[in-house]
Amino acid sequence: MGRLYGDSDKYGDQCGTPVVEAFHGAIKELVRRRLAESGQDWNDFVFGRAFQLITADDFRAIDRKLLDYGHRYAWSALVSQQERPEAYVAAQGVGEDLANFSFEHPEAPTAPPDSSGLELRGCGDNVVKYDTDLVGTARYIRSSAMVLSYLQQGVPPGTIAVIDDSGGTLTAPILEQFTGVLCAGGTVRSHLGILTREYGIPCFMNSKLSGIREGDTVRMECTAVAKTADAYQKGVEMTGRVWRVNK
Amino acid sequence: MNITYTQLLETNNLIQQNTDETYWLCLTRTVQESKLFPVSPYMILSYFMCFYRYPSLLRKIEQHMTAEEIGDRARNMGTKIQNPAMGWCLPSFYLLGREYLIAMGMIRPQDAVEDVIYVMDFWKRFELAWHRNDGHLTNRDFGHRAQVLPERKLQIFHADMYDCVEGDALHTAAQTFMAATSQYGFLVSCESRIALHNQGPYKLDDEREMIVRDFMDLAEGDYPWLDGVASDMPYNNLTVPMAVKGCHFNIIDDWGSFESQPEFKSHHMVGVGLYTSDTLSEGHVPVGMGSREELTRTFEMLAQKAKEATAKLWQRIAGWSRDQMIDAGAITYFSIIKDLAHVAGCYAMEDWVLVDERAERFRPLLNDEYSNMSLWEILGPLTNPCQRTNEYQMCQHANTPARMYSLIPYSILKDGDYTRTVGGLAPGMSYLPPKEDRYRTTQGVLSLADYNARAREFTPAVCGEDYRHLCESWLKYHHQTPEADALYRLEQRQSRLLKDRGAGLRRADVEALRHPR
Repeated sequence: MGRLYGDSDKYGDQCGTPVVEAFHGAIKELVRRRLAESGQDWNDFVFGRAFQLITADDFRAIDRKLLDYGHRYAWSALVSQQERPEAYVAAQGVGEDLANFSFEHPEAPTAPPDSSGLELRGCGDNVVKYDTDLVGTARYIRSSAMVLSYLQQGVPPGTIAVIDDSGGTLTAPILEQFTGVLCAGGTVRSHLGILTREYGIPCFMNSKLSGIREGDTVRMECTAVAKTADAYQKGVEMTGRVWRVNK
Repeated sequence: MNITYTQLLETNNLIQQNTDETYWLCLTRTVQESKLFPVSPYMILSYFMCFYRYPSLLRKIEQHMTAEEIGDRARNMGTKIQNPAMGWCLPSFYLLGREYLIAMGMIRPQDAVEDVIYVMDFWKRFELAWHRNDGHLTNRDFGHRAQVLPERKLQIFHADMYDCVEGDALHTAAQTFMAATSQYGFLVSCESRIALHNQGPYKLDDEREMIVRDFMDLAEGDYPWLDGVASDMPYNNLTVPMAVKGCHFNIIDDWGSFESQPEFKSHHMVGVGLYTSDTLSEGHVPVGMGSREELTRTFEMLAQKAKEATAKLWQRIAGWSRDQMIDAGAITYFSIIKDLAHVAGCYAMEDWVLVDERAERFRPLLNDEYSNMSLWEILGPLTNPCQRTNEYQMCQHANTPARMYSLIPYSILKDGDYTRTVGGLAPGMSYLPPKEDRYRTTQGVLSLADYNARAREFTPAVCGEDYRHLCESWLKYHHQTPEADALYRLEQRQSRLLKDRGAGLRRADVEALRHPR
């Protein structure tokens, strides 16, 4: 078995997450094996026979091995889960089960309804401070099929889109039609934050939400101060609140 | 190539500068994700492509034109070779590819040393030339500011922009254009922000600042996925000088994005202009700038075209396979510096829009979870073993004993135990349809062969040998000379208000011309 340069690392131990450690450990093992098989020293091997001896099939086997142990990958792009459902955890809240779906973030602040019927159900990083809060109807948008449907039928007026994608592409053709956005990811400088700012659409990024269902009337505290880069760097909490409006 | 101690010292310094800034950018600027695109998988694939191909491609470019000369050209147009491409992506994409391979045990920090030295040196020379008017290496080096442009160009942007206030037709049209085109740019770029760039701020008076905003690669050009859907986009690159009142742009970073105090809102915008440019244009060419009404109509027309192209492109992308999405994203990232080759007149489709077979090997590893987690580790907590340093160390910003990008060990000067290069270009492949031979330029829709031939033959007048080194420091003491006057008149040829005004105007003179009594 060959020995790698990194095998004598004084300070580094292992990666921070199990899946990365599993992959990198397996790759290093592969490289040791192929180096030994080559019969070459490292300097001849690394940009020479390594290209022929370390192949896509080797990497495919590493992926397969983790799945054979029973691991299922967390997905972020829906296409990944749809093309390899056997390799990824199941997708929820992207199809017919939407009516019963809600984000349940453990960090979401909650409180019972107050005297005016406002029930605290979460918070988020405000992208732009506005003069008034915003009230609208929560509608989850989590897949390209949902976007296509809204593209064909139009987005209902007063829609506050509830999205877990801080990117600007999934909702690209319909974003302009949103009244507000609650995004469960990203920062105020994420692409969705940038675009909603350009369009003048109230938006909370990094939202922590609980119990908001499709069709709920919600109120966004858009009058809250907008979160700054300095606040992110220093870890300062600076959020606007999200209430469900009880009728 | 005999590697010297000085070269290693400088290369390691450049690597460390990228380490420090990358952490800050990733911490404060964004979390890039998408439910549509497998973003992390394509980013990682692109890093491998950059590591294997950039050294050869940059050397090929410099056979035609030096990095410094391309940097000088870059000040004269709004194409991709600004930020984020040059200030951050070129070095960091390359270094991220290198670090991933080190983390996997596939290479050592002392492998491909000549490549690393060359890539970082190319980057430094380009950056110093591009930034020569502000005298910095990067925006970070300038405290997150970018004052790249010479006075003669700033005067034209200042003079010819139209005033606007929130609610008027021009303001509404410009705001809609910028929103729609930003969104289109994100989609064209597969969820990355690389179609957008901001530079500045430039001071117009005690109350107003100007930033220069670029929207790039909008039309049929280098990306195969724009063939057909972008055929109605009449300009590939658009530049919007934008004046604001009541807010100060305190951060313009090397990703080309801005932050202001107080936060920028649309009502702060009080002036706009519109230009196009590319490697074949004499600088920035006015678009719809003949009158306020014409500019309003032009913004409206372009916003509508951006929205139409967005809808068409989105539907095309929604039908793609995961491999096609990964290819498009990886190619977008990897080819972010491709305009270097366009300027040099040596662009080849095979160089820039295919996945190198050495990088392609890694695709089976790139499931969403590994990609997200490994990217987070390498950019955030820096927990790869190769990134850990001794416990006394406190890295910039995070104060942890870690370094994002490994330095080259100086021991190679003693023991000679290193490798020089990854080697030349290897074949590439792609799951995407082949690129059609249509490239929209300021000289019309051209074939690539024609585009390259014209690029090789063309030198913008202000970039020619007569004027290239007539810098702002020279101008300060020679503004009254015929040479300075001729240089300014060249720049002013298409200006509505400054045509033939020459080199003598000061900022207040320009403002007075905008509002004659």
